[in-house]
Amino acid sequence: MSNHVTIAGAYEIPPRRYREHSSIDLFRMILGGALAEWQISPADIDGVITTTGGDITGHDTYIHGRLISELGINASIAETMNLGGGSHQAMVNRAAMAIHEGRANAVICVSAGKMMRPGLGAADAMVRAICDYNLEGPYGPWIAALYGLVATRFMHEKNVTAEDLARVAVSARKWALLNPEARQHEAGPLTIEDVLESRMVVTPFHYLDCSLPSDGGGVVLVTRADLGREWAARPAFVKGYGEYHPRGTVSDPGSLIETGAVISGRKAFAEAGLTPADIDVAQLYDAFSSTPLLLLENLGFCEPGKAAGFVNSGAIDPGGSLPVNTYGGLMSFGHTGESSGMSLLVQGAKQALGTAGPTQVENAGNVLIHAYGGIMFYHTTMILGDEP
Amino acid sequence: MSLPVPDIDDVNRLYFEGTASGELRIRHCKRCESLFRFAHAWCPDCWSQDLDYKLASGRGKVETFTVVHQAPYESFEDRIPYVIALVELEEGVRMMSNIVDCEPDRVEIGLPVKVAYEQRGPVMLPMFTPDV
Repeated sequence: MSNHVTIAGAYEIPPRRYREHSSIDLFRMILGGALAEWQISPADIDGVITTTGGDITGHDTYIHGRLISELGINASIAETMNLGGGSHQAMVNRAAMAIHEGRANAVICVSAGKMMRPGLGAADAMVRAICDYNLEGPYGPWIAALYGLVATRFMHEKNVTAEDLARVAVSARKWALLNPEARQHEAGPLTIEDVLESRMVVTPFHYLDCSLPSDGGGVVLVTRADLGREWAARPAFVKGYGEYHPRGTVSDPGSLIETGAVISGRKAFAEAGLTPADIDVAQLYDAFSSTPLLLLENLGFCEPGKAAGFVNSGAIDPGGSLPVNTYGGLMSFGHTGESSGMSLLVQGAKQALGTAGPTQVENAGNVLIHAYGGIMFYHTTMILGDEP
Repeated sequence: MSLPVPDIDDVNRLYFEGTASGELRIRHCKRCESLFRFAHAWCPDCWSQDLDYKLASGRGKVETFTVVHQAPYESFEDRIPYVIALVELEEGVRMMSNIVDCEPDRVEIGLPVKVAYEQRGPVMLPMFTPDV
């Protein structure tokens, strides 16, 4: 699509437990931080796209109106979107399409999230949000268990071991040790044994196979390419996008492990005119340690059954042939609920912008970001590049 | 929150009427012969709304599973560790359930299972046990 669309700025607050801050407080922290950095004014912006406000116990789907009002802008496009963890690239795509068609020039895409603990009154809301309440809910599923069903099948079909899963968490920690913003930056290195010795949550996941519940959020500035060149030293070009939604519950028929990423990835590569071999950095949604392995295969980076060997070789670590989750991932950076996918997007965009600081990968020309919402349901793949 | 009880609605009423009398029913499309869960108001393969149901044998095998050691909320605390499985019924339809009356360690992919029922509030819930 979009030789004409860039991401000109990417900003994220460090993920933490901002317990004393509401969702709207977080939106203000994110936008305040970004506006101080970007040096733009209200007249420059004509679009606002946001994920939901509030939290799982009560989502605010009119948050875009509140933000337009607070920002004092007149918007040509404005929308609250929700594809769960897949929302953020869909937001950029929505903005990019409007810019491509000449309907907008510069669009703020923003997201804030608070990850609630299931035990804190959010349990019923969460069951209703993530699964079929009547036919699945009575059996006691929750997010980790639903992922556990997919991971058990993946391990069975691909001969993947608990050690292989743990190695993904080890890699995420290696990156977090380089990133001062990551929640586990000072937690020290992780070993496979550490992961296997942590308590079992749901099979096959130990505690350290799981992402780290956090609050936070981020924002990207999506613009016409000429504005991107003006506002960024090296804007990130939106080169390709793919989206695919093949199912809504794990009980639906079809393969559990050949996910919608196969098709969303194929679409994004086709649009960008690239292949997996052209990608220099990949941000792959890692709600649990199993998912990057599955995505490496589904997106074509590894032949079926080869992802575990690839990860064990150090390929996704700092200095590896395909750096993955270069900011520490949701496992060691933090999983910010409604905003989780924004971390992958912001950190992927920073790699393409050349502003990733201590985690910057040299020659990060093409960056692939894959996120999804639900239990690997709502898939979005985006490819950014340092040239059109 | 107590253990979740399904809401009976227009889509699933015939299903839970069946479980109440020990029948495991699966939706059947009279036009294209598809079989599917009571999760659709129409056939997901051809959109026909001319549906009836078939009786499942109640036998199937474990397609995948997870052993839950950390309960999602208080009412499941008494049950941990418990097994959630996706069961592939003999008729080819996948459904979620718990594997009960069985040590979690014994559950594996491919394990033959058969239906059993648990009273949950006013509803009889299909569960599965090893079919040995």
